[in-house]
Amino acid sequence: MSSTLRRQQNKSYYVEPTKEDLFRLAFALPEGEEALGEVHAVLTLQGKQEAFSGKLYLSTSFLTFTSLDRRSCRLTLPLATVRRVEKLAPGQDGTIAGAFALSLTLFHGLRIVVQLNSLRPTNDAFCANLRTRLKASLPMMKALKPFSHTFFSEWYLSPDRELDGEAAAAKKQQDEKVGELISFDDEKGKGKEEEQREFTTEGDTGHGYHGGLGLIFKFPGDPRKLREKSKMKLWKEYLEQHGRNLTLIRYPSFTRLVLVGLPNRLRGEMWELTCGSMFLRLHNPGVYARLLKENAGRRSASTDDIEKDLHRSLPEYAAYQDKVGIDTMRRVLTAYSWSNPALGYCQAMNLITASFLIYMSEEQCFWCLTVLCDRLLPGYYSPSMYGTVLDQRVFEHLVQRCLPSIHDHFAEADVQLSVASLPWFLSLYISSLPMVFAFRIIDCFFLMGPKVLFQVGLAILKVNGPELLQTTDDGAFINVLKRYFATLGESAHPNSSDSRTRQITKFQELFVVAFREFAIITDETIASERKRFRAEVVISIETFAKRSAIRNLKDTGRLDKAQLGLAYDHFQLASLRSKEQARRPSAADALSPKPPNSTGASPRTPSSASFGGGSGPKDEEKVEERIDRKAFGRFLGDIASWARDEKLVKNGFHEHIDRQPVDHELVDRIFVYWDQSLSGALSFQDIVTGLDAVLFNDLMSNLAWLFNVHDSNHDGYLTKDEVLQVSESLLFIFRNEPGDRYLGSVSNLIQNLFEYAESTKPEENPPRSPSLGRSPDPSTGRPRANSIVSDNPHRPYLALATFRMCILADPLLEDFFESDLTNSWRLEVLIAEEKPKQPGAGGAVGGWWGGIVNAVMTDENKERLNRLADEVGKRLDIQTIEHRPSIGKLDAAAAAIEPQARDSLFSTSNRPPKQPASPEIPNPLSAAAMRMPAYPPTSNPWADASSSGSSSPNLGRHEIDVQAAASQALHRQQFVIDDVAEGDDEDYAGGEGDAELMNQVERMLVEDEAVTGKAAQSGQDLLKQDGQSLL
Amino acid sequence: MSAPAAAPAEAPARPVQVKLVLLGESAVGKSSVVLRFCQNDFQANKEPTIGAAFLTQRCRLEDKVIKFEIWDTAGQERFRSLSPMYYRNAQAAVVVYDVTKSASLEQAKTWVKELQRQANPNIVIALAGNKVDLVRPSSDSDEPSTPTSATSDDDEADDATATPEDDAAEGGDEEGAVAASESRRQVSREEAEEYAKECGLLFFETSAKTGEGVVEVFTEIAKKIPLDHILASTRGPGGAAGRGAGRGGPAAGGASVNLNEEESAKKDACAC
Repeated sequence: MSSTLRRQQNKSYYVEPTKEDLFRLAFALPEGEEALGEVHAVLTLQGKQEAFSGKLYLSTSFLTFTSLDRRSCRLTLPLATVRRVEKLAPGQDGTIAGAFALSLTLFHGLRIVVQLNSLRPTNDAFCANLRTRLKASLPMMKALKPFSHTFFSEWYLSPDRELDGEAAAAKKQQDEKVGELISFDDEKGKGKEEEQREFTTEGDTGHGYHGGLGLIFKFPGDPRKLREKSKMKLWKEYLEQHGRNLTLIRYPSFTRLVLVGLPNRLRGEMWELTCGSMFLRLHNPGVYARLLKENAGRRSASTDDIEKDLHRSLPEYAAYQDKVGIDTMRRVLTAYSWSNPALGYCQAMNLITASFLIYMSEEQCFWCLTVLCDRLLPGYYSPSMYGTVLDQRVFEHLVQRCLPSIHDHFAEADVQLSVASLPWFLSLYISSLPMVFAFRIIDCFFLMGPKVLFQVGLAILKVNGPELLQTTDDGAFINVLKRYFATLGESAHPNSSDSRTRQITKFQELFVVAFREFAIITDETIASERKRFRAEVVISIETFAKRSAIRNLKDTGRLDKAQLGLAYDHFQLASLRSKEQARRPSAADALSPKPPNSTGASPRTPSSASFGGGSGPKDEEKVEERIDRKAFGRFLGDIASWARDEKLVKNGFHEHIDRQPVDHELVDRIFVYWDQSLSGALSFQDIVTGLDAVLFNDLMSNLAWLFNVHDSNHDGYLTKDEVLQVSESLLFIFRNEPGDRYLGSVSNLIQNLFEYAESTKPEENPPRSPSLGRSPDPSTGRPRANSIVSDNPHRPYLALATFRMCILADPLLEDFFESDLTNSWRLEVLIAEEKPKQPGAGGAVGGWWGGIVNAVMTDENKERLNRLADEVGKRLDIQTIEHRPSIGKLDAAAAAIEPQARDSLFSTSNRPPKQPASPEIPNPLSAAAMRMPAYPPTSNPWADASSSGSSSPNLGRHEIDVQAAASQALHRQQFVIDDVAEGDDEDYAGGEGDAELMNQVERMLVEDEAVTGKAAQSGQDLLKQDGQSLL
Repeated sequence: MSAPAAAPAEAPARPVQVKLVLLGESAVGKSSVVLRFCQNDFQANKEPTIGAAFLTQRCRLEDKVIKFEIWDTAGQERFRSLSPMYYRNAQAAVVVYDVTKSASLEQAKTWVKELQRQANPNIVIALAGNKVDLVRPSSDSDEPSTPTSATSDDDEADDATATPEDDAAEGGDEEGAVAASESRRQVSREEAEEYAKECGLLFFETSAKTGEGVVEVFTEIAKKIPLDHILASTRGPGGAAGRGAGRGGPAAGGASVNLNEEESAKKDACAC
C-alpha cells in the first residue's frame, strides 16, 4: 500500500508507451493504427538511382518505410493512395533476379519499387496482409481526391496552373486571398461553400487549398531575403520527383531543403506533413467543425483564459489587429480546449497557435496543435506542466554533461538556467527569438522531433559561452541572451576578410552548432534522460501541490501537520483512483480526439447550460480537486477499518491481505454529512473538517457524531426510520466481529430505543442536548403537535439524550463509543520515506517463495503475484480465507462467552476486561505495508530479471546509452549540409535564383567548416577555462 | 543596530541591488505596471508573459541609488508551481490584483500567504490594486495625455471582452458615466486596505495606463527595505567583516544581548 500513491501519481503523469505507441510515434501515425507486419526491404523510386535498404511496415491503414539509418529515406503512405500493386517478374525494373519485388503505383502517378528481402513465408504473409488492408481502404479512396485539393502543393503542381503561365500565376498569387479554412465533407465539393460561411469571413482562393493568414496579411520577413522564389523552385522540383503531400517520400535532399528554411507558402503543409497531423485531418473529417458547433456559446475556465490572451498574441502581426485573425485564433484554441478539457488552455499555446495560423488554415492548425500538445510535447501544457518541468531538468543535466564549465559556473554564481530556457521550450522559441528564426527552428522541430529544442538550446549556450562565464546573476544571464537574440540576423564574423564568411549570420552559425556539435543528442538520449528524472519531478510537483493545498485550507481543525499531510495523501489517492477508472474505458482512443460529449475525463467542466445568462459563478469555475461519492467510498475504506472488508488469504505459499471498501448507507450518510457546500463532491477542506470531527472524539462526542450523521434534517431528533438506520449502521460496523455479542447488544439497543423514544410520551418536553453540533431551528426543532400521527416515519422521534442513555446501558457499546470508534479511524502512511531499496528487508517471509516475493515487490507486481498465488492456492485446494474483524476487540475466546452478556441488559457487571485498542493491534496491515521496500515506481525488477537476465543496475544503463550515442556520433554520417555541396551540385545547377540559394547552402557549409574550426577553438577555450577553474 | 548611519556614508554611489518579483492573477496588468515603471510606457495589448520576463530600473532614493531587478512572472494558475524559481532570494514582491475583478484579490491573498511562508522571511510585500483608471469617472481616464488614445480605448474594450459577465451585469441598469465606471469596481479600496494592514503589506491602488500610483509602489518599497543590510551583505565578506572588526570581532551569529556584553566588556577594557 505504501507506494500505491506514488504509483498512482506517476501514472497520472505518465504512462509507459507500449510497443505500438512507439511504432505510431516513429511514423507519426494516428492513434488506433496497429502494426500488422514488417519485412526487410529495399526501396527505389522509379527514375532515381538511389536504393535504400531498410524496413517496410504495414499498419491498419498505412504503409511505412524507413531506411536503416532511420534518416535518409522515410515514407508514411496512406494505403488509400496506392492505386496499383504489381508483383514484378524477376529481374524486371532492375531488381535482382529471383528477388521478391512489388511495384506500387501511387495516387500522384509515382511508382515505387520495393524488393522484399525477408524469408519467403514472411514476405508472403506481408503481401497477403497488404492485399486485405488495401481492400479495406477502398472507401477512403473516394475521399482522397477532394482532400488532396486542400493542399497548396496540389494546386502549385497542377497543370491548370501551368496553363496560365508562370508569370501570370505568380501575379495572381499576390492578390490571393486565404485558402479554404475548413475542410469540406467528403464528396460534396459544392456544399463546402455553405459550411465555410460559418467559420470564415474571408473569401475562397478560388483554388480550394488551405492556407494561413499570411496569404492575406503577408508573411513575416522579407521574401527576397528569405529567397522564397528559389526555394519554391527547388521544392517544385523535389515534389515533382518524390511525390507530394500524402505521397511524399523523404529523400536526403528533403532534410536539406527543410534545414535551409521552408518557403512561406509551403510551410504549413510541410509542418502538417512532418508532424503527422495531416493524417489526423484525413482520418477525422468534420471533427473540427463539429467541435466548434457543439460547443458554440459554451464557456469554461479555459475559454475565459483564452479570451484574456487573444488580443495579446503576436499583437504586432497585422492579422491579430483584425477581427479575422482574432476570431480564427479563438476558434482553434477553444476547439482544442473542448477536445482536451483536461489540458484546456495554457499560456504559450496562444503564441504557438498565432504563429501556426500564419501558415495554416484553422483546421490544419487545430490538428497540428493536437499533435504538438498530445504527442510531441506531452505534459508541457497540462495543469501541472509536468512535461515542461521535466524537460527543464533534462536540459539542465544535458548542459552539465555537454557544457560542464558553463554548468559549474552557473552553479557557483547561483544562476538558474530555466529562467531563460523555460520559455524557449514552452513556446518553441517564439517568445524569445525573432519570428523568422523561431519558425526555422520549428521547421526542424517537426521534422526531427523534440530533441531539436535541446540541441538549439545547448547551441545557444555554447555560442555565448565566453560571455555567459562572466555573468554573476540571473539578470545578467538573461541580458546576455537578449542581446544575442536581437542580433541573430547579423554577421557572425563581421571582421572576416572573406566576404563569404562575412555573410554567414549568427543564426546560421547557431544552426550548425546545434545540429553538428550536438548531434550526439538523439531521441534516445532524451528518452533515457526523461526516464531518469521522471520520478524526481513527479515528487517535487506533488510535494508542491500538497504544500499549497494544506496552506490554502481555511480551517485545519485539530489536525496537526503530519495528519494533514496524511489526510491529503488519502484524499489524493482516492481522487487519482477514480480518475483512473474514468479513464480506463476510453483509453483506446486517448489520442484521437473524441467527440466532445464523450470525453469522460471532464468532471468539472461546467456545462453549457450554466453560462447562458453570462453571469456564471466565476469563482466556482476554478478547478478544485473534489472527490465524488464513489471515490469517497474508497477513501473511507482506506481510513476507517469498518468501511472495508479485509480478508487474510493463506494460499499455502504466503499470506496477504485483500482489502475491499464496502458500501453501505452509512457511507452515504457520512458523505452527505461532510459535504458542507452540498455540491455532491467533497473538497479537501470538507475532508479535513470531517476528520476533525471524528479523529479526536471521546465517548460523548462520538455519540453525538453518530447521532448527527443520521439526523438528516438536523432538527436534533431522529425519526423512526433513522433510528432503524442507526442500528443498521451499527450492525454494519460490527459485521466482521466474531461471535454474537455485538449482534445481541445492537438488538437490545433497538428495543430500548423504541421503548424510551420521546414520541411515546409526546406531552413531555424532551431534554435538549447541549452537545449537539448543529442546534435545531426553533421553528422546526420542536416536536410538532401532530403526535396523533404516531406512525408517521418522518416525525421527530428520538433525541440525543435518550439515544445516549440507551447506548450507555450497554457496556460493549459504551466501550465502542468511548474508544473503539475513534481508534477505527486511522490515517496510514501512504508514502514511505523515499529510501533506496534494501534487498532482503522482508527476508522474514523466508524460503524461495519469500525470495520471489521480495524480488517482485513493486506494488503492481504484488497485486499480480497475489492473484497468481491465489489461483495456485485454489487449484491446490490449500487456500484459506479469513475475514478479519474491523474492531478486533473480541477474540474468538471472548466471543465464545458472549451468550451471558445478552441477558443482563443494563448491568455493567460482565464488562469484558478493557483492551484499549492500541495502534499496533487493530491494524497489522499497516505494519505489513511498512515492511515493503519502497522501490522506485518506474523500475521494474520483474521485467529486468526476465528480459536482460543481467543484474546491471538501472543507473548503469543510462551511462551506456550515452557512450553509445557518443561513439555513434564519432562515426556518424556526414552532416546533411555537407552533402549538399558534394553530391547534389548538378541537381540544382540550373537558374540564377537557385544559384543564390545554393550560395546560402554553401555558405552554411563554409560556415560549417569555419565553425568546426572555431568550435574546436572555443571548445578548447572552454576546456582551458575548465582547467583553470579546476586549478 | 547602530550600523545604518555609518554604511551609506562609506559608499554613497554604489547601487543597491534589489530583487523584486511581481505576482498575481493573469491579465491583472503585472507586465504593464513594470513597463510603466521601467519605460514610462503603456501598451494596450501586452503579450502574456511566458515563464517570466526580466527588467531592470535604477532609481534614486535620497542619497542612495537603487537598482531594481524585476522579475515579472506569468499569471496563469498553472505556472504557479514554477514561481518559487522567481521569488527565491527576492527582497521585495508586488502582488497585483485587478480592482474590477474580485476573484483577483482572492488570488492575490493566496500569493501573499505563499510568500509569507515560502519566500525570504524579510521580504517586503506590496499589494497593488491595478486598473483604477477603469473605475474613475471617465473624464480623467478616457482622454488621457498618452499619445495612443485610440489604442487605449481598444484596451478597455479588451478588458471588457476578458470579463464579459461584468459588462452583462452592469451594462444595462446603470446610468451616467460616473456611476457606470464606478460600478465596475468589484474590490473596494477599504476592503483591500484593511486586508493589507492586517497582513502587514504596503498598499496602493495603481493604473499602469495613466501611471497613477506606480512609482509610489516602488518608492515605498525602497524605503521599507533594509537597504544598508543588503548593501552590507552584497559587499562580500570583507565589507561585512569591517563593522564587526571594529567591534572587536564578535561572532556573526551574536544576538543583541551579546553585542551589549561585548560593548560593556570593551568599555571596561578602555577604562583600564
